[in-house]
Amino acid sequence: MSNTGFSFPVIHDAIDIMTPFLLAGIGGLVTELSGMLNIALEGLILLGAFFSVIFASITGSLFLGLLFGVITTMFIAFIFGAITIYLKANEFITAIAVNLLATGLTAVISFHFFGTKGNLVFDNFARLPVFDLPALDSIPIIGDIFLGHNIIVYAGWLLVFVFWFVLYKTPYGLRLRGVGLNFKAMSALGLNPKKYRLEAIVISGFTCALAGASLSLNIGAYVPNISSGRGWIALVVIYLGGRTPLGILIASFIFALAESFSNYAQGFINIPADFILAFPYIITVVALVLVSAIKKRQQKIS
Amino acid sequence: MQTCLEMRNICKTYSINGRTVNKNVDLTVRKGEIHALLGENGAGKTTLMNILYGIIHPDSGEIFINGKKVFIDSPLTANRSGIGMVHQHFRLIDDFTVAQNVVLGMEPRHGLFKFDNTKAEKDVLSVINKNGFKLEPNAKISDLSVGQMQQVEIVKMLYRKADLLILDEPTSVLTEHEIQNLFIRLKKLVKTGKTVIIITHKLKEVKRLSDRLTVLRSGKVVGVRNTADVDESEISRLMVGRTVALKPIKVETEIKEEALKLENVVLKKRRQERPILDNLSFKVFKGEILGIAAVAGNGLSELENLLGGMVRITSGRLLINGQDVTNEGAAVFRRAGLSYVPSDRLKRGSSIESSVRENIILTNHHRFVKKTGEIDSSAADEFSSKLIDNFNIDADPSTRTGTLSGGNIQKVILSRELEHIDGLVVFAEPTWGLDIASSEYIYKKIIEVKSEGAAVVIISSNIEEIINLSDRIIVMHSGEIVCETKNTEDIDAAVIGDYMLGLKNDFSKVTNER
Repeated sequence: MSNTGFSFPVIHDAIDIMTPFLLAGIGGLVTELSGMLNIALEGLILLGAFFSVIFASITGSLFLGLLFGVITTMFIAFIFGAITIYLKANEFITAIAVNLLATGLTAVISFHFFGTKGNLVFDNFARLPVFDLPALDSIPIIGDIFLGHNIIVYAGWLLVFVFWFVLYKTPYGLRLRGVGLNFKAMSALGLNPKKYRLEAIVISGFTCALAGASLSLNIGAYVPNISSGRGWIALVVIYLGGRTPLGILIASFIFALAESFSNYAQGFINIPADFILAFPYIITVVALVLVSAIKKRQQKIS
Repeated sequence: MQTCLEMRNICKTYSINGRTVNKNVDLTVRKGEIHALLGENGAGKTTLMNILYGIIHPDSGEIFINGKKVFIDSPLTANRSGIGMVHQHFRLIDDFTVAQNVVLGMEPRHGLFKFDNTKAEKDVLSVINKNGFKLEPNAKISDLSVGQMQQVEIVKMLYRKADLLILDEPTSVLTEHEIQNLFIRLKKLVKTGKTVIIITHKLKEVKRLSDRLTVLRSGKVVGVRNTADVDESEISRLMVGRTVALKPIKVETEIKEEALKLENVVLKKRRQERPILDNLSFKVFKGEILGIAAVAGNGLSELENLLGGMVRITSGRLLINGQDVTNEGAAVFRRAGLSYVPSDRLKRGSSIESSVRENIILTNHHRFVKKTGEIDSSAADEFSSKLIDNFNIDADPSTRTGTLSGGNIQKVILSRELEHIDGLVVFAEPTWGLDIASSEYIYKKIIEVKSEGAAVVIISSNIEEIINLSDRIIVMHSGEIVCETKNTEDIDAAVIGDYMLGLKNDFSKVTNER
């Protein structure tokens, strides 16, 4: 998708590309702060992408597709969470199971109902509506960077703010972070910390489903492995962003910018495409090294 | 006086191992008293209190608060019945402020959703001031001392309107000074109409603090007394079930050659100016016990690490049995003659996942290797069975060490370390967390080791232990030796306490330079 009509197409595209990172990232942040490393983000994105497009085609409605897609993904996240938390299964093993299940289940359903394990393209429902937020229009020069995105992109920004508020400004957020910092302290107060962890996983299912839907509903099609590692990058984004919503916003933008740049660079820079496509991952490594170096320096000072 | 709490016929058997921990226990606590709940480790006192606080559910029995029958199934319902508990290991969130920790679960709100931090701090401050505590509501827990953290735990319960406070082993982590402050505060609290139950096995504190006491042994109540009517030896007889010597009997042994020598030892952390161990020099001779005392955080654990061969020193020399072993590491230390009983029994002293047999042969395993390279298990069995007998360990060679009681784990470590002594034994916090009977046994062994002619070093934050056992005492404060003295009959624990707190210093640098 090249939006050549915009003044900074690379940045404009980056805003679209960052949305799945951002959504999966803030969902993963909630589980992270509740004291669990959620490596199932990738699988949950894939499930969200698949089910929202399937349900949209069944119902013929974009909205219902999105709704049922999100609910189904949250339900699978709930089962994953219940097995992990209440049946005390290892969180890594169950998360790997979710990731494997996502690829397997989507292929099976796809083959059974549509006769193919390949791409599923639908045209009986509308694409994600594109909005122009009037308030952003008035920003000079860079204003149009924020225009012409689909509804989930804007929802993502809203969610960052909502999550920041819930996590840091409400009693619920205080308790959820408390669970992550000291599980025993919360159970000593009778506050049922397991409940908070389960809810955190279901919340990550919600945001990952949106992340997935933003990929598939935008093109009205499901492509196997459409998430293509975004859930893993989202994990990196959480740590790079210093485990804060604002940090995740910045980190996912940097990644998206790298990806958007490499998309454009293929067209006019005479370097092997493989190298350009690897650019986002090189950024990952460099960023991780930088962040850990900065942290070490800060520790030295204190 | 009015009855505040009555527990009737409480029974609890754990289904996992079929062990009965509470047998028809009755406990009556009067309003406005400090009631001590006493017993050896495993006597069932913590279980009883966890039942009262709703953490454990009893098989049968009834609980009455102010004459009214209550059903307590979680800490929340306990809080609602006016019961608050301060656990031995604090349940605080380090990254949160005092106020946030206190209000957690009962947060004041601003509007429907918003957490009102300002009101939280104000409310918590008023609880703090009303009850004579000294805390800043907006301070982070990680910046507080252990004593202050305990205050936060108490304030947390008072904020929840607790009238009956349960404190589980509240003094085990405190310094002498902090213990005094805690006792003053608790006495003030009961004057305002609160009731306190304190779980402990420290007899001195029971006498100092409590009005009445209930003693548990093997899950049963064996005595209820007014504290004023009993003396320490009777309490300990009730707890253990037989007469125990609270003070080990000292033995005079001939002092022989030196076994350990530290010369100007300095230990610095990287990029840190102030040394953790500052110019330590001392000697220990065979046939004597040297006690080294300090408050936690003043270099005691670093000294333990140093003597155990676990850290490298920045400068200075360390000699064992005349051999310079500076920075040579634990293996060389041991070959030079060191036996070492570490303070951390579970992480450093033993491998809790391994069997008792494996733990016992650990330092001697080369003796049990057959020519084929495998371990001669029958010889190892025989060897460990012999030591299990000698040290009265309540276990089989194949028992998993982690399932043993603290006292028995310590005996497993002792049996390994004392099986072969080559002149020097270092004990670090030898009785920390152990009950009276186990402590008595450990003290007997330490005296035995000395009378057999070895040099003994005891590193401990327990002054009583240091005074009761040592022939010589060294006190450290912020990494320096501040006092070195012969242990005579008239030595005063309070004076040693002053040295430990840094109020006194015999080696003050200023005077030395003049």
